[in-house]
Order: sequence, then structure tokens, then C-alpha cells
Amino acid sequence: MFDITLLWEVRGLILQGFWNTLWICFTGCLLALSLGLVLAALRLANPRLFGYPVACYVELCRGTPLLILLFLLYYGGPSIGLTLSASVAGVMGLGLYGAGYFAEIYRGGFKSIPKGQLEAARMLGISRWHALTHIQIPQMARLIVPPGTNQLIILVKESALISIISVDDLTKNATTIVNQTFQVIEPYLAVALLYWLMIELIARGGYALEKRLANRQPRPASQQGATPHAHG
Amino acid sequence: MPMADTLSPSSPPRQKSIVEAHGISKQFGDLEVLTDIDFSLAPSEVVCVIGPSGSGKSTLLRCLAFLEPYDHGSVYIDGQLLGYEDRNGKRVRTSEKRVDDVRAPVGMVFQHFHLWPHRTALENVTEALRLVNGLSRQEADTEGMAMLEQVGLSDRAGHFPESLSGGQKQRVAIARALAMKPRVMFFDEPTSALDPELVGEVLDVMKKLAADGMTMVIVTHEMGFAANVANRVIFMDQGRVVESGPPATLFRQPKSERLQQFLNTWRERNID
Repeated sequence: MFDITLLWEVRGLILQGFWNTLWICFTGCLLALSLGLVLAALRLANPRLFGYPVACYVELCRGTPLLILLFLLYYGGPSIGLTLSASVAGVMGLGLYGAGYFAEIYRGGFKSIPKGQLEAARMLGISRWHALTHIQIPQMARLIVPPGTNQLIILVKESALISIISVDDLTKNATTIVNQTFQVIEPYLAVALLYWLMIELIARGGYALEKRLANRQPRPASQQGATPHAHG
Repeated sequence: MPMADTLSPSSPPRQKSIVEAHGISKQFGDLEVLTDIDFSLAPSEVVCVIGPSGSGKSTLLRCLAFLEPYDHGSVYIDGQLLGYEDRNGKRVRTSEKRVDDVRAPVGMVFQHFHLWPHRTALENVTEALRLVNGLSRQEADTEGMAMLEQVGLSDRAGHFPESLSGGQKQRVAIARALAMKPRVMFFDEPTSALDPELVGEVLDVMKKLAADGMTMVIVTHEMGFAANVANRVIFMDQGRVVESGPPATLFRQPKSERLQQFLNTWRERNID
């Protein structure tokens, strides 16, 4: 039997978990978006110097599980003098892991702009900075919104792994409720609904941004499909 | 790979020429695409560069604009060395700012237009006016509309490039370059990417520019245009200038066997 009154009784734990998941995901995603941009910019600005190190970083992120990175940060950190709280390790884990993926998304966006457009800008005396801000980024933005939204969604869902390093997030608090009440369905369904709510908000935000950019600019023929829904 | 600091010393440019090149060479890997090219362009002169595909025509134009750094020799724009400077007896690359400054008198039109697809026709024309010349939006729009008017496209000002025909795109590209008030225009196969029916509208704009006294270098396969508009035609093959001279002489009395062959092929194709 589905007992909805149980959820009312444990609402404090669920809301605390929701808040923790919310701020850790927000901060982690912000870190991933910013660091990813820095990595992509370094790689494109000086491929000789930064190309290989950034490529290695991206491959490491893509080739290793997030959980291992979280273990390394939280349990392995103290042995090299890096003692982090579980929440900070969670933020850093999500940020460092996501940055590898975002670096590639940004790089793909930059690379999709034909070189000739920049040559035309250079021949008109437009500086590299202005070419970046007025020609590359506006065109890149609409190309990276769909894959970027998808990546944010994946990061939020993967944030459930931080419960394993004892962060009191939605998943961990749901498990605590299950252990205390021996009721499995209600707590897990409730947190699933809250995860879905967060992801739906991100997806709708992505759609809105995509639509706004599309209204201002013609859609390139190469851009197919729309913001993807959550998967995985 | 040849280094910039091995550039040979060159004679000072004649002040009369707007663009002058001495002994420029360019290699891509092991492939030598330009060999020891000399070039000069006097004010109001229209020079057409012709030759088979892969002969180095576009590379020459790109080297003259420093979109491709040349390996040896010198290019001067208005008497100023482009792309390099002498530092302690060694020739080194100049800053991008310096390249922009020296190259400022040159406007360029590309085969594939290279319009910015997220900007309207007018915005394509006004972008550099605002970013480089510091004009206000209103001033830039007035100037931009005048440029579009000049190429017959003022009624397409608010259109994005994707809704323009190839010929219209190329005319916007010409207006964009003209907006910066260049003293020389480089055209890199401006009609090669166009449907045959659209070639005429672009050539008409270029003819008008030539008639108004614009100095131009045009890499082209349009022999009729070269014959009618150019003051001088340069024929290139395998990275070298094979022959050059007034179009009447070059087309009617070609000296080299290679140019005769090239013209015969062209005539046969056009008679068919």
C-alpha cells in the first residue's frame, strides 16, 4: 500500500536532501561550465602548449567513472594534504568531471564556425577579441545549447553518486528513510519526482534559450534536432 | 620549412605602387606553391590573375593579404612591409595589430562570401564600421545602407544571408569590404561559387568599381571579364608567373606554350 502520510512525516529529511542536491548540483555545474570554457579556450588558443594536456584531461574524464573521482577526492585527498568535506568533494567531483565534457562541447561549437568567417573579420580589421565576442560566441551559443543542456541533465542525475561519500543529498536521505521505516516505494518515488522536477526545469530552460537564440538568428542547416530529453 | 628570418633582403618599394611584392615564395609542407613571385599594383590599376586550378593564384592573393604568411621575399602595402619586421638584423613576424594596420587599405572578397550568418545583410556591412571605426549604430546604419545601395541591395538590408541568392551574398560581401573605404580590393574567385545566371550581377558591380577607379586584383576564371576590364593579366602555372601583359596582347598573342594550351582548352570548352 502506498502510504502518503509517511512522506509528510519525513518531509524534513527529504527537503534537506533536496536543498543539498540543489546547491551542490548548481555549484558543481557552474564549476563544470566555467572550467570547461577555460580548458576549451586554452586548447584552441595554443594547441601546441595546451592541446595534449587538455586532451589527456578530457580522456581521463570520459574514461573513468565519476564515483572513482569522488573516492579519490574524498578518501584519497587527505593522504596528499587535501582534506575536503563531503559536500565540497561532491561539488569538486561534479565540476572537474563535467568540465571534461563541457570542454569538448565548447570546442565543437568553436570548430563549427568556418575559418573563412574569421578571415573575413581579420581583413576588415576586426580584432580577435571582437571576432570572438561578436562572431564566434553568438553562433556557437545556439549550437552548444542542446548538447550542453543534455550534459547538465546527466550531471544532475549522476549527482546521486555523492550519497556514497556520505553527502546528505536526496538519494542518501531517501535511503536513510527506507532504513528507518522499512518502506521502500514512497521515499524513492518521492525523490525520483524531485530529481525529475529539477531535470525538467533544466530541459525547459534549454528549450527556452534555444528558442530565444533561434528567433534572433537563422538556424544553420547542420543543426538538427532539438534539446534532448533526459536519458540514461 | 623555410623560416621567416631567412628572407632575402629586397629593394625598397617604388612609392607609386600601392601593393608590391618581391620574390615571394610559399611552401605547404614539401609542396612549393609559389616560387619567386614579383608583383606590383599601381593606383587605379585592375589586374586579373588567371591560370589552371592549383597554379597558386589564390595563394598569391592570400600571401599579398598575409592571410597566408609568405616564407621568403617581401610584400609592401603603401611602402610598408607586411607581416614582418627587422629586429636586430633578423626578420620576425609583427603583431596582429601591426598586420591589421599595414593591411588597412586592402579589402577582400572571398569565393565563398564568408558572410556571418547570424547577422543581417546590413549588420554584415556595419559590423566593422562599429567595432573598428567606432561609429554609432545610427551612423553605421546610414553608411551601411549607402554601401548596400551601391551594390543594388538596399531592399535586402534586413535579410539574413541564408535568404539571399549566391549573387546577392557576394554583393553584400563586396559592400562589407567597401564600407571600410579600402584603396585596393582583392577578389579571390568571386564568381566561382555562383550559378552561371548569377555571375553577371557580381561582375557588373565589379565593372562599376573598376570604372570608378578602384584598384583591384582579381583572381578569376572569367576570361571575358579579364579581357574587357583588366589593365593587365597575369598568367600563373605551377606557382610561377608564366606571362603577364595587357589582355589584348596576352589573349591574342600568347608567347608561352603553356598559355596557348590553357587558352585553347578554355576556347574549346566555351565553344562546346
